[in-house]
Amino acid sequence: MYPEIDPVYDSDDTDVEETNTIGNIPLEFYDEYPHIGYDINGKKIMRPAKGAALDALLDSIEVPKGWTGMTDRNTGGDLMLTQEELEMVRKIQMGEVPVDGYDPYAPTVEYFTSKTEVMPLSAAPEPKRRFIPSKHEAKRVMKIVKAIREGRIVPNKPKQEEPQLYDIWADDAPPRPDHIMNIPAPKLPPPTHDESYNPPAEYLPTEAEKKAWEELDPEDRDKDYLPRKCSALRLVPGYDGFVKERFERCLDLYLAPRVRRNKLNIDPESLLPKLPSPQELKPFPTTTATIYRGHEGKVRTLSIDPSGVWLATGGDDGTVRIWEILTGREVWKIKLGEDESVNSVKWRPGREAGILAAAAGDDVYLIIPPIFDHETEAAGKEVLSAGWGYAEIVKKDPLKKEPPAKWSKPSDKLADAGVAAIVTVRITVKHIAWHRRGDYFATVSPEGQNRAVAIHQLSKHQSQSPFRKSKGIIQRVEFHPFRPVLFVATQRYIRTYDLTKQELIKTLQPGSRWISSFDVHSGGDNLIVGSYDKRLLWHDLDLSTKPYRTLRYHQKAIRSVKYHQGGLPLFCSASDDGTVQVFHGKVFGDLMENALIVPLKVLRGHVVKQSLGVLDVEWHPKECWLFSAGADGTARLWN
Amino acid sequence: MAKIKKKGVSGNAKNFITRTQAVRKLQVSLPDFRRLCIFKGIYPREPRNKKKANKGSTQSTTFYYTKDIQYLLHEPVLQKFRDHKAFAKKLQKALGRGDYSDAKRLETTQKPVIRLDHIVKERYPTFTDALRDLDDALSMIHLFASLPTNENLPPATVANCARLTREWAHYVIRAGALRKSFLSIKGIYYQAEVGGGQEVFWLVPYGFAQNVPVDVDFRIMHTFVEFYTTLVGFVLFRLYALEGLVYPPRFDKDADENAGGLGAFRIEKDLTIDTFTPAASSSDPLPQPTPSQTTSTSTTLFANTTFYLSRETPREPLEFLLRSFGCKRIGWDGVLGAGAYTEDASDTSITHQVVDRPPTFPPAAEGDASAPPTAATGRVPGRIYIQPQYIWDCINAGRILPPGEYAPGALLPPHLSPWVKPGEGYDPTAALPDVEHGKASSDSDSGSDNGMQEDLASDSDSEPTAPTTTAPEEEEEEEDEEEDEEDEESAAYQRELTAEAAGTNPAADKKKKKEKKKKSKKTRQQREEEDQKEMKKIMMSRRKRKLYEKMVYSNAKKEGEVEGLKRKRRRLEGKGKKEGEA
Repeated sequence: MYPEIDPVYDSDDTDVEETNTIGNIPLEFYDEYPHIGYDINGKKIMRPAKGAALDALLDSIEVPKGWTGMTDRNTGGDLMLTQEELEMVRKIQMGEVPVDGYDPYAPTVEYFTSKTEVMPLSAAPEPKRRFIPSKHEAKRVMKIVKAIREGRIVPNKPKQEEPQLYDIWADDAPPRPDHIMNIPAPKLPPPTHDESYNPPAEYLPTEAEKKAWEELDPEDRDKDYLPRKCSALRLVPGYDGFVKERFERCLDLYLAPRVRRNKLNIDPESLLPKLPSPQELKPFPTTTATIYRGHEGKVRTLSIDPSGVWLATGGDDGTVRIWEILTGREVWKIKLGEDESVNSVKWRPGREAGILAAAAGDDVYLIIPPIFDHETEAAGKEVLSAGWGYAEIVKKDPLKKEPPAKWSKPSDKLADAGVAAIVTVRITVKHIAWHRRGDYFATVSPEGQNRAVAIHQLSKHQSQSPFRKSKGIIQRVEFHPFRPVLFVATQRYIRTYDLTKQELIKTLQPGSRWISSFDVHSGGDNLIVGSYDKRLLWHDLDLSTKPYRTLRYHQKAIRSVKYHQGGLPLFCSASDDGTVQVFHGKVFGDLMENALIVPLKVLRGHVVKQSLGVLDVEWHPKECWLFSAGADGTARLWN
Repeated sequence: MAKIKKKGVSGNAKNFITRTQAVRKLQVSLPDFRRLCIFKGIYPREPRNKKKANKGSTQSTTFYYTKDIQYLLHEPVLQKFRDHKAFAKKLQKALGRGDYSDAKRLETTQKPVIRLDHIVKERYPTFTDALRDLDDALSMIHLFASLPTNENLPPATVANCARLTREWAHYVIRAGALRKSFLSIKGIYYQAEVGGGQEVFWLVPYGFAQNVPVDVDFRIMHTFVEFYTTLVGFVLFRLYALEGLVYPPRFDKDADENAGGLGAFRIEKDLTIDTFTPAASSSDPLPQPTPSQTTSTSTTLFANTTFYLSRETPREPLEFLLRSFGCKRIGWDGVLGAGAYTEDASDTSITHQVVDRPPTFPPAAEGDASAPPTAATGRVPGRIYIQPQYIWDCINAGRILPPGEYAPGALLPPHLSPWVKPGEGYDPTAALPDVEHGKASSDSDSGSDNGMQEDLASDSDSEPTAPTTTAPEEEEEEEDEEEDEEDEESAAYQRELTAEAAGTNPAADKKKKKEKKKKSKKTRQQREEEDQKEMKKIMMSRRKRKLYEKMVYSNAKKEGEVEGLKRKRRRLEGKGKKEGEA
């Protein structure tokens, strides 16, 4: 608020005081400069000198008149308000009119008076036409009256109620061409014999059928009526659901979505694939030849010795038994664990020495069963005892990390029984896989994290774990039949490692949830995988990391899958549903040709116990004989 | 690279529209939309890809074809709906003011009338199309003709429906179009051949008061009936014109009040149609088409008979049927209404009398007509007494059947549906194949049941009531047998020895064993075949396997039903035979 300008010489504001041009920015930005901004000419506006600290203190104690506490942007000094300005601020705060002398309630001044004058402005009398009927109107009314009399206008004429009928199809329009989006409503099917009021007696429901029909939800019934017999037409009652059925048909007509569906009217047998007959693909095992009874509890594992004469089995009773294949006679047995079951038995490859590796609990027992001739037995002993000396030397090296397993000599009792060495892995061993030369074998302990896989060397009595880090829960390992390659199956993936270069080659993705077992084809290029989610997957290693075929036919989890390694194109899968399925699986040398898979036979015989069926299968090394270990405590030979 | 297609502008996304969207687009209320859909015959669709049609949402909704809805946008009936809304407001206003005369004037002059003829023409461009869709219309009209009126069902509608049903009946009689009929527990089915080979099929309820459930929405039904009456009206107009008759036929109110039935309508020849007269009698005598050319020999089935309907018989269907099949003289008891040929039951010209009451006299021996007339029976000699089913069976058979089986009080032969084609499924008229073949000997009931059970091992529908306890055991045994076949042979000698020691006859045992073995071998072969199929299924893709299994299941179900019927019949026949022997 500036004072009223008096138009005198002084009123010229050309030399108005300098104004700050910095614009709308906080003044603090200039705090560290001596100036507070620039005037219109670009000259610095210097900060006014501040009083001494005492002055400031005094100011704060005794507030000067008009003090606001704000800084004037133009001068940099304190912003003070005059008495007039303060009064105006107060009035605005109080909601009063800020200008002095304004009367908000001044009396109104009317431009025209609201009162009726006694004397009218015009004295002209009302015209006559305002009092007599209009001739023009009368003319118009007469026109309408005439029209009504003549019947041209009918007052309150009701509209035509009945739809006028005529020959709507008189023009013989051509039929509309069929459009794919035009779907006519399906007609209701004609009634069948059972809807008759007097049907043949065989259509009448029995008491049980009647009850079943009545108990069903009306929506689930395949017919909305029950056949009934009336001996005469006069006895036929009214049908309760007539209106309801018509109503539902109406709803169907306007509410049900219509879809075109083509019905396949073919013989279902023509859908079955054309496969070579199993008769042409003989030989394959078909019947039980021998049953090996003796184990108490489940038979967990079995193995055929390389010569194909002896069958070794291990079971929940902690024993390893050796049977003569042909007769089914138990030749030898040994009890390894007190309460631990034998999880895996595997004969060492090679015929020169009969060595059996059996895993029970944390220990792997290397056994030379006394069933061979002296030469073989001696060769076996030599193979197993050669390492003791080497182990002595290595033990002296203190810098070496502790090995994943300890090799030790068995107690006398066990030694007498035939055990030649014990490898203690410290974690429960579930699976053993031999290298083809018989010097190495790998053990799998799924709970062992990074030590789940251990590779043991017979000749040096040494053990090492190839993986530094855990790769997931490892299920199985297998050696490649002729290359230095190791296959490692975790729950979901199968990884192949090159053992010489010590690197990962490939990761196979079978796509199943939980792999239970797998086997490598003797050609080395194909792999079958069995999984707990009932699938059998065939991998062609050259083709892809995804399976070439996925087969799902077992009702329960697959426990074990095996190729025939002795040259016959056979493989099989064993499942918890108690069956073993035998396949013809021919791998062609030609890379362009895919493997031929033909299901051959379902072998039934094992009894399912505690929802476990067949736990392990093994092929004979040469013949087309199949061995299976069941949860019912028997092993079987099929041929 | 091909041009990238924008999402949601073509295909499923564009072709389909949800119901809410449709209602919004048309700016109508949901009930109006429903009426519109019923009139126009617009129905929801099932898009191939629901997700694409629903803008990415998978919520289940009703879809309409977008073009259907687009056509609705300029539908005259839609405009009428809007007019009606405006009219309803005016009327409401007048009534609210208490201005009743104004309301009445509005009601009579301004109420919009919905005409549906253009829709009929649009939905059915040709007459054949209309005839093809006549089934539902006729069934609905016949139902509405017999319904009680209520606030949703004005008496005018019911009367209109009743009139149309009779006009339809008159046409069918006149044209001799009726082909077949069937007495079902739901009502009476009729089938007629109209307009050059179009088969029309309708259901008429029995003459009882209908049970109207509470959950039936009469507004929907009424909308349908509104359209159907229009459709049937136009169809009848055309049909009458084709027959050279005047439509609508003259309605005799007095006759209707006296329960004249069909006789309440007077059918007249249309004299305005030029009848073709040969210019000269000497010109070539080509056979000229007569108006009712569809008349076949079957329509003159009852031409030479005179029927009399007793008072307990349903007059309407019988009159309709008899007239359709050429019977000119039908008399009935006075109770059944006016218009009878004769109401005197003792009229000597009557050849057949339809009776449906239990006989008060001992049933006469065969050869009804030849039975000696006695005063006690109340029978008039020289006429055939039959039950109503006789007429239906004669019509469906296409010839006059011997009336012996249909005598009053006699146990009627089963009434069969004429639309079940022979050779499809189970045929109750065909004799059962030899009992030996089915393994089931009707003499030993339990044994036969067991055998059937085995036959239908795959059939899930088989009765659980049959004694099944022995079946699994047997199966297990067989299984064992199969496995241990070789063991068995070696052990046979051993067993023989033990049997001998026990003192039983080993020879008999052996014989039994052999029989059993034979049986097991047969089942074994079957099982092998089944195994083969199962194994082939392993190599099928999942989609094909599902399809295959579905087909096998439905086939087995059908066969199971037929088997079940056969089994039941066998048992019944066996029982009948036993009773006969006893």
